[in-house]
Amino acid sequence: MQKITIPRLGWSMEEGKFISWLKKPGDLVSVGEPLFELEGEKSLQEIESVEAGILYIPADAPLPGEIVPVGGLLGYLLEPGESPHSHSQSTPEPAARSFTGHDELAAAVVKANETSLGKSPTEIDRPENLAHLPVASPRARHLAKQFQVDWSSLQGTGRDGRIRESDVQEASGRGAAGRPSNNAKQGLGTISPRRKAIADRLRASRDLTIPVTLTTTIDATELVHLRQRLKHSNPRLVPAYTDIVACLIPWIYKSHPHMAVVWDTQHKGLIPVPHDQIHIGIAVDTPDGLLVPVVQQVGLKSLQTVTQESRKLIEQARTGRLPKTAMQGGVFTITNLGSYGIEAFTPIINLPEIAILGLGAIRREPVVMPDGQIMARDRITLSLSFDHAAVDGAPAASFLRDIAAAMADPAAYILNSVH
Amino acid sequence: MANSTQNLTNERLGSLYRTMQVIRQTEEELARCHQRGLIHGACHTYVGEEAIATGVCSHLNHNDVVFSTHRGHGHALAKGMPPKDLMAELFGRSTGCSQGRGGSMHLFSPEIGMMGTSGIVGPCILQACGGGYSSKILNNGTVAVAFFGDGAANNGAFHEGLNMASIWKLPVLFICENNQYATEVPFSYASGNPSVGNRGSAYGIPGFELNGNDVLEIYRVAGDAVARARAGQGPTLIECKTYRTRAHAEGMGDFTYRTREEVEAWKLNCPIAGLRKSVGVGNYDLARSAELVERFDQIDAEVAELVKEARDYAESSPVPVAETATNHVYGPQLGPVQDPVGPSSRTISFSQATLEALSEEMAINPTIFVMGEGIGKRGGNFVTTKGLYDLYGPERLCDTPICERGFVGLACGAAMTGTRPVIDFMFADFVLDGFGEIVNQIAKMRYMSSGRLKMPVLLRGCIGIGHSAATHHSGSYYGMYGQVPGLRVVVPSSAEDAKGLLKHALRCDDPVLFLEHREILQAKGPVIEGDFEIPFGKGRIVRQGRHVTVVALARMVHLVSSVSDELEREGISVELIDPRTVSPLDTDLILESVHKTGRLLIVDEPPGQYGFSAEIAARVVDEGFNDLDAPIKRLTGAFCPTPYSPSLENVMVPNADQVLAAIRELMSE
Ligand SMILES: Cc1ncc(C[n+]2csc(CCOP(=O)(O)OP(=O)(O)O)c2C)c(N)n1
Repeated sequence: MQKITIPRLGWSMEEGKFISWLKKPGDLVSVGEPLFELEGEKSLQEIESVEAGILYIPADAPLPGEIVPVGGLLGYLLEPGESPHSHSQSTPEPAARSFTGHDELAAAVVKANETSLGKSPTEIDRPENLAHLPVASPRARHLAKQFQVDWSSLQGTGRDGRIRESDVQEASGRGAAGRPSNNAKQGLGTISPRRKAIADRLRASRDLTIPVTLTTTIDATELVHLRQRLKHSNPRLVPAYTDIVACLIPWIYKSHPHMAVVWDTQHKGLIPVPHDQIHIGIAVDTPDGLLVPVVQQVGLKSLQTVTQESRKLIEQARTGRLPKTAMQGGVFTITNLGSYGIEAFTPIINLPEIAILGLGAIRREPVVMPDGQIMARDRITLSLSFDHAAVDGAPAASFLRDIAAAMADPAAYILNSVH
Repeated sequence: MANSTQNLTNERLGSLYRTMQVIRQTEEELARCHQRGLIHGACHTYVGEEAIATGVCSHLNHNDVVFSTHRGHGHALAKGMPPKDLMAELFGRSTGCSQGRGGSMHLFSPEIGMMGTSGIVGPCILQACGGGYSSKILNNGTVAVAFFGDGAANNGAFHEGLNMASIWKLPVLFICENNQYATEVPFSYASGNPSVGNRGSAYGIPGFELNGNDVLEIYRVAGDAVARARAGQGPTLIECKTYRTRAHAEGMGDFTYRTREEVEAWKLNCPIAGLRKSVGVGNYDLARSAELVERFDQIDAEVAELVKEARDYAESSPVPVAETATNHVYGPQLGPVQDPVGPSSRTISFSQATLEALSEEMAINPTIFVMGEGIGKRGGNFVTTKGLYDLYGPERLCDTPICERGFVGLACGAAMTGTRPVIDFMFADFVLDGFGEIVNQIAKMRYMSSGRLKMPVLLRGCIGIGHSAATHHSGSYYGMYGQVPGLRVVVPSSAEDAKGLLKHALRCDDPVLFLEHREILQAKGPVIEGDFEIPFGKGRIVRQGRHVTVVALARMVHLVSSVSDELEREGISVELIDPRTVSPLDTDLILESVHKTGRLLIVDEPPGQYGFSAEIAARVVDEGFNDLDAPIKRLTGAFCPTPYSPSLENVMVPNADQVLAAIRELMSE
């Protein structure tokens, strides 16, 4: 017994219209004889029998005019004597137009597309009102995300105000290193926005303060010792000299209320600094210029914590990731040019602060000790610039003297605060 | 048929009968399967034409090569392919002869000399010439056969192929199966000359017109032709007049262009029945006749069993794994190659560098031969083969007639059969006549044969606008070729790159299009002496920079280079990248550079539309979007044929001022 099914006429035929039988049930059909008529996509065709046999048409076979899928069963060709018994129903065979391999391939392709998209469009968060946002280059947006800068509020310098990488760098407080400005080709001098911000601050300091710098040189042997000891006890967290000095300042402030002040926002009056608000700035030289990250509440923190925090801030400053807020609220600044071999200098006061302490290089020098002996000792020069408009010379000098004394014997202060 | 049987042994007669029956019964089963929807694509049967493949292939051994057409089941089976391999292929199974990549029109079994059937009418004629040329170069005595229809006899490939086979005396049989219709178009309508066989004399080769349903006649004439070919006496054209008694392809209507009566009449002229009749008592004594009839009956039964097994095998075979769908587009990567260790103190021109590379490789690889116009004694229009003729002789430095399609098609067949052709087409514009051979045949052959055919073809020639060459001597086209899977597209800019890349091309087993910009052929540069290779897909940073990435090829590399210093003085630091190969493209190198600079300009000589520059831009947007600080810019040639007058020609190609302006503009984006 052979099945008679709907053939595919042409490449894309999925179903056809069964028109009529060209043989009657019970007829003997031989190979190549026209068996039925079928209408495909293009035309009406006589379909020849590919088998020989006696035509048997089940009761529920498709009727003339019915649409039947490719592969659908029309009837049977029986061998002489064969009975149709168990084959009396003609539910279409699953139309054999696709095979599993095909579906698998399709699925694989679809899958590949999905994974390359990663997210479906609806999952991708878009700014609510796209139309009102300024335009930013992809690179600028990417950088803004990294620096946590809200680029939507920036003024772009690219074509038609497009926000560019350099705009984000400026906003983040990181200079546009290595990028030439647009008017470089006209031969005009340029200044980076970062540099300009620094210049403006310094100019304000010059205009508004009456700076006087006091210097003194002290014995730093104990300071160096202390640092060595701390280094031994925890080689992974060695405080810088600035960290140690920062931790001394709250102690000194206690007996120098005239120095523990900052200018108000109008630059008219002085505001006392409470003990829990002693935020100390540390001047950092970065590829993009001078930055002053601020360690908060030093009066409440151990040297260890101050070291950890300052280290993180300096790292952020050097890699251009220092948030603006981390540079605000300072009451006193420490700046260290010792690593350049500088001994004394005139640090510029960082407004609204009224004083800044400069640390020089530590040198081992012959020193005449109180007992007349000459010994090799570590020495450091301190340079304190203070605003004479805010405070007189004597209080400032005594402030420096006390800092010097504390630095000469720091362990008493530091080890107390550590434990 | 009468007398010719008597000198054949019973074994031979039986084997001819058996082959025809295998073809017939296999195809009838395929037709049934097609009706049932088990065969997915087209299925062109050979029913009624079995005598031809059978008579011809009986003279071939496994080293002889057959190139066939869309109606190729019979050729494959006659060449020795087991029916189960064929059936499994049409069922789309991984056990099929093409592992499911081909279907009915792409049957490959190079292991037995079945070099492939083709969905394109004509190219098999040229590929057989390539098989013949390999036979000459390798001197291995093999014969190549092209089977094709009457439709193909009116295709240009026929003319170019027969002429090449004639002048080089190639061991090729051209078998035209004239079944009187090309799909629905009668040969009597389509041909001014009603004979194909008599066209042989037009090419100076023997031509025959045979009854294509008489297997013994075909066997006899093909035998003579094969003997002539093996004896170095050149090709033969044999026209076999026949008829297909089924529709052009399964499922197609048959009686819009021919009558039922005509078909019925030809069914009576069945070649299998004919052979049976010829062994009757009229021709043989009773005993021999009876023995043959019995033998034939036994064969019928055996073949029925064989075909049944084949179908069961096909149906129970696994489908190919979807993940393997893109395997075999290219051959495996060659072993690690050393980048040149420079710099060299010696300075030579681009032309000298490629000549050196070709000469060195020809010296160590005797399968390399060069074909082109004037590349023999003359040494090439662009001195690409200067002096090589004297070193390697006329067969390896082969001047061609002006038949670009022909010799590119020949190169395809040659590569398929074990030699390494270098096609020197002079100008890229010229080889467009062979575009179909490159794109449809050469590039796809490895894949369609599921990696079993290597395609070491080097296609080289000049590109580039300049010196009023006008529009037929100035195109670049590499963007077009870059779209073709299977091709490698190389466009060097420096002499050293040219040497290293050409050497790599001559060792790589994939087809390579090697395009040389005419305006830089004399540009000199340091080139390492002796052996080194530059792998494909590795670009070169021509100049390091910080502010803007410029990608360029060939002459445009020189152009961008020439303005970079001026920009540097303005404070704009250009990073210039020469990808060196268009396909594969070193996307990573470009992305790395854009990551650094944030800006990308592509300077390209051909028109931008759908081109190389568009591809780079798309890839960088895709993979380097977050690195972009400005839109990607392209500076490309005009979308226009190349005019002659210098004043017109000048505005076709990017110039220095435009490059300067484009970069400055990009910096202000
Ligand atoms: C170059 C090309 N043009 C058109 C086609 C479409 N086509 C497929 S088979 C065919 C007829 C070929 O006739 P012939 O060469 O006589 O072979 P036959 O089918 O009669 O065996 C045509 C036109 C094709 N495959 N290739």
